[in-house]
Amino acid sequence: MSFDWNIVWSSLPRLLDGAWMTIWLACVTMLLAIPGGLVLALLRLSKIRPLAMAATGFVEFFRATPLILQIYWVYYVLPAYFDVQLSQITTAIVGLVCNISAFNSETFRSGIVSIRQGQWNAAYALGMTPANVFLRIIAPQALMRVLPALASTWVSLFKDTSLVSIIAVAELSYVSLQIRAETYRILEVLTAMAALYWLMGYPQAKLVDWIHHRFKVAE
Amino acid sequence: MDINIQPILASWPFLAKALAMTIFVSTLSTLLGFAIGIIVGTLRTYGGQPANIVLGFYVDSMRAIPLLVILVWTFFAFPLLIGHSISAVTAGIAGLGLHLGAYVSETIRAGLTSVRRNQMQAALALGMSPFQAIKTIILPQAVIRMLPALGSLFVIAIKDSAIASVIAVPELLRQTQIVAGKTFRPFELYTAAMLCYFILCYPMARGVDRLYRRLAHLGSS
Repeated sequence: MSFDWNIVWSSLPRLLDGAWMTIWLACVTMLLAIPGGLVLALLRLSKIRPLAMAATGFVEFFRATPLILQIYWVYYVLPAYFDVQLSQITTAIVGLVCNISAFNSETFRSGIVSIRQGQWNAAYALGMTPANVFLRIIAPQALMRVLPALASTWVSLFKDTSLVSIIAVAELSYVSLQIRAETYRILEVLTAMAALYWLMGYPQAKLVDWIHHRFKVAE
Repeated sequence: MDINIQPILASWPFLAKALAMTIFVSTLSTLLGFAIGIIVGTLRTYGGQPANIVLGFYVDSMRAIPLLVILVWTFFAFPLLIGHSISAVTAGIAGLGLHLGAYVSETIRAGLTSVRRNQMQAALALGMSPFQAIKTIILPQAVIRMLPALGSLFVIAIKDSAIASVIAVPELLRQTQIVAGKTFRPFELYTAAMLCYFILCYPMARGVDRLYRRLAHLGSS
């Protein structure tokens, strides 16, 4: 068996374009899923029952089903039955944002709940409004506590962007599988794809370990 | 918008078999992942610096590379390296197991290191061998603390098994795609598959929470 590694170098520009798309997708998704998760978490904690129940249902549903199926669902069902025409990239972002928002909301909720009731009481006693208490007392403390979990979600999101290759979004996996089909240099191209993901993901995994170590909650 | 569940009723034996395949693949890959994870986690905790570095590299690599890439590589590229083909199901279970093993090992390691050092020292001072100390003193406490994380890993294994549809493992998502393509009823079929996964995963996730709340006090020291 002979391998021809030149194919990797000649298709490197396309692979790098794909890698750029992967980074872009992960960034856009996270930027949308942080406010999304926050809204879901606040809805779940709100005293208005129907709102809290709807948010809980949304979160539990997206956490208990496979992301790859959610992407298919958004891709096939929205255009065919609800008359919504979305481009592939928009479809991918909608699927990813719904999923990551659900995970983020659990992170935020546990962060908010972890701040003791006494903090609320003390702030109220000083005459602050509920919104003020949340923004100036609770949120800054909760942020430190949710940072490690948020970082872990970021790394798994970065990996999960590979799943949108199934609806032909030209990120790293899709581009690699295309080059594989064009050139038949299966081992070389797939190994290059894995290597690129490794190069991008390994430092992130290490960074997450550092964040976990640095922001660990000490009781 | 009209809903027609006829295609689901007509092909339910086919889909039931696919559901069984999903359960089979996720169970076997969980078992493989636990076997790998227990060995790697224990060696990283007690096996000295070289083992920690080498196995740490494996764990961090699995955390860095997407499961889809691991599955595609195992199924399409690995056979070229060894010279003969492997079945999609084997490749799927191997890829899922290797990926899950890294996460299991991190859970095991966190559980083992959460038991205070004094416990080990006390056991050794009583004349136990290191192996005995781990088995009778450390593990019983650590296992309780690992339970919730390990339980949710099984739920993750079920969800991740859907990614094996990419290498044509005949599991639920793959077979749903086939029926949806034949009958032109994607809404009904994908929704039915979604409900199947939800019914499979949600009670399990809640069950693990419940179980843990009842057992949590056993793990405190």
